[in-house]
Amino acid sequence: MKWYIDSDRPIYKQLVEQIELRIISGVYTPGDKLESVREMAMDAGVNPNTMQKALAELERMELVFAQRTSGRFITEDLKVIEEAKKTLAVQEIGAFLEKMKKLGIGRNEILALMEKIEEGEKADDHIKH
Amino acid sequence: MLGKLIKHETRATSRIFLPLYGALLILTIFTKLALAFGAPDFFTDNVATNPIIEVVLGISFTLYFIAVVALSVMTLVMIIQRFYKNLFTDEGYLMFSLPVKTWELVLSKLIVGLIWSAVCTLMIVISFFILSLGSFSMMDLTQGISLAYTEFYSTFGTSLNVFIFETMMLIVVSTISSILMIYVSIAIGQLFNQHRIVASFGAYIVITIALQIIGSILMAIFALGNLDIVISQGNDGEAMQMIHLLINGSTLCNVALCIGFYLATQYIMKNRLNLE
Amino acid sequence: MTILSTKNLTKSYGKKTALSQINMDIPRGRIIGLLGPNGSGKSTLIKLAAGLLVPTSGEITIDGLAPGVDTKAKISYLSERSYLSDWMRVIEIIAFFEDFYPDFNRIKAENMLKDLNINPDDRLKTMSKGTKEKVQLILVMSRQAQLYLLDEPIGGVDPAARDYILNTIITNYKEDAAVIISTHLIADIEQILDDIIFINQGELVLSSSVDEIRETHNKSVDGLFREVFKC
Repeated sequence: MKWYIDSDRPIYKQLVEQIELRIISGVYTPGDKLESVREMAMDAGVNPNTMQKALAELERMELVFAQRTSGRFITEDLKVIEEAKKTLAVQEIGAFLEKMKKLGIGRNEILALMEKIEEGEKADDHIKH
Repeated sequence: MLGKLIKHETRATSRIFLPLYGALLILTIFTKLALAFGAPDFFTDNVATNPIIEVVLGISFTLYFIAVVALSVMTLVMIIQRFYKNLFTDEGYLMFSLPVKTWELVLSKLIVGLIWSAVCTLMIVISFFILSLGSFSMMDLTQGISLAYTEFYSTFGTSLNVFIFETMMLIVVSTISSILMIYVSIAIGQLFNQHRIVASFGAYIVITIALQIIGSILMAIFALGNLDIVISQGNDGEAMQMIHLLINGSTLCNVALCIGFYLATQYIMKNRLNLE
Repeated sequence: MTILSTKNLTKSYGKKTALSQINMDIPRGRIIGLLGPNGSGKSTLIKLAAGLLVPTSGEITIDGLAPGVDTKAKISYLSERSYLSDWMRVIEIIAFFEDFYPDFNRIKAENMLKDLNINPDDRLKTMSKGTKEKVQLILVMSRQAQLYLLDEPIGGVDPAARDYILNTIITNYKEDAAVIISTHLIADIEQILDDIIFINQGELVLSSSVDEIRETHNKSVDGLFREVFKC
């Protein structure tokens, strides 16, 4: 998986989001051991201090926990992950609704459009099969 | 660290000098062979029999002469170039960021420059010696030398060894001071913000003129102080005394110059360093 | 904690002032971007720290010491010029560095040469400008120094090598060392920086952490730089 650090927001926040996304989407599975800060920093092409800061933030969020000698692990508490997933979904939907509002598209219209798109996708799948 | 600097300096310069010495040696041997086969009586009656041999000899002598001159010139050029290029151009960025003292940088260049000057002289002497082999007998040579010693002693009352030693000292010290004079001129050039090479040449010329004026004044004072000997020219012993004084005085003056040049160079490099 | 410190540091060349009254303290363990337009005094500051220039007034100390033999042993300096002798082979230059710097790691250097496909037997004069720059950077990063001064390290190299070099910088320095990178190509190195120092016309304009800038200005450092130094 690639890292994307491109927006103007603080780099560590972008790292937090991307690691969070990896945890939620199952790229990192609960209980997985994370690589060392240095390796992760090198992989992402960022400064180790920044990666450290991002991991500290994830620890605070309880998505990651540190064991003094053996390193950092993804939380095994599925509730926390579920919670994060929900929070992220709420955020994304909020942003989506905000955009639709700007376009002048109301709630019913959105639902109708969504159904239509989903049907289209199903039909596409059918054809492919 | 001085030892390491000398090691790397030697490595950097020997790649230029060793091939040159090799070329000189080859040309010497070639010329010697051409002489031995083509004109065995060259040193005695100076007549080459065959016009082809004459041409070959002419060419090999010319090449040989060029090699000797090139070697001397290269030694001087390398002394200048190693100091200027290695310390005051882009390469200086590396040399001055090494954890070595400024005096070690100067001294390493000086020692290696001095060694090459000595080797260069030695090589030319050896080459002359090879070339003239056969034109004299070893016996004559040793006899001549011992005769010179006894005659010198009977005329002047001192050993020729002392005289040779003092002259050698003067040659060594004045070689050092002339190398250091080049260094200080280059360093002075660095004080300018532009046209540093021109400024270095200017500095060298100014120092030369100043030294010549001071030298003439000192010589005049010296001559006036020993006027009786200069005019009468009578007593050999007294004349020798004066030559002694002259040689050792020159050596002392050169030692003073060496110290002055060295300190000035080091001061500029340490406190006024401004690499472009 | 401080590795590099300056007090009212001023440097002028004749009448021209290159740096004026610079005050800063650089802690260990950080990667610092020294940013500014061409001719702003970046190189002058780095050369003063490396001991290649003497301050006109004020002072500069490295680990509490004025520039000299001791500080030079702690600093690994990459100049913006090509400072290696052209006639040398890479292996000869490695031997040179190994001789003068006890903290030089030959194995590290050889591995990096291999990674970047540089033949150690090649002479520098046969190499392109970019390859020479790589060699120089490999030598500098193969030392276990306390302060790395990198003057325009990525100017002439291709993007692939640039990424490799940035990774080398991130992974090679130890926690107690600091890296100062001067550049005007900010976007390329922004992600690896902890802090930045903006200088312009010899004066310190801004010194801050990268995330602080992004947080308060809502802009990348590159964006802010373009705004501050708009022509």
